[in-house]
Amino acid sequence: MISRDLVGGLAAVVIGAVYLYFAYQLRVSALDDSLGPSGMPRIYGWLLLSLGLILTAQAILSRLIGAPLAAGREALRGEWEGQGRRIGWAAGLFAIGAAYLSAVEKLGYLVSVALLIPAAATFLGARFGPRLLAIAALGAVALWAIFALVLGVSMPSGLLGRLGL
Amino acid sequence: METLVQSASYLFDLGVIIAALAGVTWGIMGGALPGISPSITMALLLPFTYTMEPMSAIVLLASTYIGAEYGGSVPAILIRTPGTNAAAATVIDGYEMNRQGKAGLALGISLYSGVLGSLFGLAMLILLSGPLSRVALAFTPPAYFALGVLGLSVIATLSGENLVKGFIAAILGLMVATIGTDPVTGGTRFTFGSSELLSGIEPVMIMVGLFAMSELLVQAGGRGEAERVTSRPRINFPDLKLARRLAFPQSIGGVIGTFEGVMPGAGGTIASFMSYNEARRWSRRPEEFGKGSPEGIAAPETANNTVAETALVPLLSFGIPGSNSTAILLGGFLIHGIVPGPMLFQRSGEIVHGLYAGLFTATFGMLVMGMLLLPACIWLVNRPRPYLNAFIFALILSGIYSIHNSVFDLGIMMAAGAVGFFMRMLRFPFLPTVLGLVLGYLVESSFRRSLVLSGDDLMIFVDDRISLALLMLAFLFIAGSLGKRIYDLARRRRVEAFSEGSEARE
Repeated sequence: MISRDLVGGLAAVVIGAVYLYFAYQLRVSALDDSLGPSGMPRIYGWLLLSLGLILTAQAILSRLIGAPLAAGREALRGEWEGQGRRIGWAAGLFAIGAAYLSAVEKLGYLVSVALLIPAAATFLGARFGPRLLAIAALGAVALWAIFALVLGVSMPSGLLGRLGL
Repeated sequence: METLVQSASYLFDLGVIIAALAGVTWGIMGGALPGISPSITMALLLPFTYTMEPMSAIVLLASTYIGAEYGGSVPAILIRTPGTNAAAATVIDGYEMNRQGKAGLALGISLYSGVLGSLFGLAMLILLSGPLSRVALAFTPPAYFALGVLGLSVIATLSGENLVKGFIAAILGLMVATIGTDPVTGGTRFTFGSSELLSGIEPVMIMVGLFAMSELLVQAGGRGEAERVTSRPRINFPDLKLARRLAFPQSIGGVIGTFEGVMPGAGGTIASFMSYNEARRWSRRPEEFGKGSPEGIAAPETANNTVAETALVPLLSFGIPGSNSTAILLGGFLIHGIVPGPMLFQRSGEIVHGLYAGLFTATFGMLVMGMLLLPACIWLVNRPRPYLNAFIFALILSGIYSIHNSVFDLGIMMAAGAVGFFMRMLRFPFLPTVLGLVLGYLVESSFRRSLVLSGDDLMIFVDDRISLALLMLAFLFIAGSLGKRIYDLARRRRVEAFSEGSEARE
């Protein structure tokens, strides 16, 4: 069984390695100071890589010399229980946000938010129906009024703008 | 005295008054919602502060922090669910008093103690921050570098159970800080041809993503029915006899709150529980604790409200945020190009004085708003979470867009939210990341400028007296934290965890 520390350690190693690769690609100029623009990034990259390896080693060692095998396995199973489902729900909400991002400039702020609120609320467990749609429409108008009218932010007009509204 | 006179002139500033009252109102409502911590409540406001005057923006955020600390006690007392981590100690006796039909008195004690704690904390803040401003002019690039190192040394106490994870989280923040234009040569780094990344990634995107967006992603999987408030209590303040009895536990809360607030990484939760324990230890009626003792509410509520003020001491004096909430407040300063730290009192003294006046107004505003907003808080606590979270989601996306009218910023914020979600899952603390993010530029630019000044002689950091003192302080800080960890490990005690937003604390 894989512990969270092991996953965290390996993730740090991968991020550190990718960051280091790009840090070494940074252009060097004769006008640079002694450390240069790539100096600190290289230090950070190596540090992350090393710390990732330490965390990975810690995770493996604690498995080897830690709790008795059966108890440890049970604890690890409990540690991951339900996490797949949680990632799935989070990914769903994230996808709704990503859809909003791709639509907001085409549809406009008002329409996009009026769609975002019922989509997110339904996904999070609210019952879909006229009540939800009415709340979403009122909520979208309220948010638009706060941002566009009160704060004077130029929110995307999109569809309604093209219709001259 | 001069500080008091200058601050008093802002007490009648309409902008300060409105910001203080709006902040404390928002804070009470946000704090009353279980799962929405003070830092999330503040993070939701952060994008709005872009269009505001700097002083009003800072007062708004700081007042939100104060309001949220009281707001957290409302669900703690009424439904046994603390609205904030710091209100967890209030649950013990607050809910018992509610069961005995004394919910109104419990809420009154919480509000009254919160106001006293805030006033005491404000006095300590003014007293402790002022003297540090006098050394401001002596700060040189090596001293600024040492200051950054001192800030980063706090990571040792913010890393919870695993120090390595804290350092990894901090380096992630430092890495994000390297994106954009190089501070010395002006060349570009890690921009991948994107013009949006030329000026770097603003901390506000990362903060809102890490704290607020990741919380929504975590809550997306929750489908349980939340507990509802069925009673309709009205706030009752303690009579003179009870107020006299509460004075001692409130003093304990004030002293512990001051100490814990000034110490980066300690925070309101630890202060609340420590105050609760000490109040019980010194009480004449210790047997009442856990069974609805008013002292059991007074001590922790005074402590966490004191912390909300004294936690600003390291932020204003050194630019070091010791908690998630002060990190968000730091974001508020940075949005307006104001850098907290030694020069703050010299360059932006009026902001500091306005902040003191705003905190004073917010404290009394809390007294009024706390009474007026109780029905609204109960209404809010009873709203279905899916609706509430959908509106928070829309608010976050709208707020971030409004900063630069950029969809790219929304992408950055959502990416930070996803990273925050996995950090919670893998039990990495957030605060070191935020520290790395906000201190990264200072550390790198000061270090490299110092080397340019000294002709690459590292002794410049030792020759400068302030730099040497700060570096020694940082060393002592790290050594002390490591020593405590080893001591705890030897005694097989769990290391106190760290972050308001961490999954490990939930």
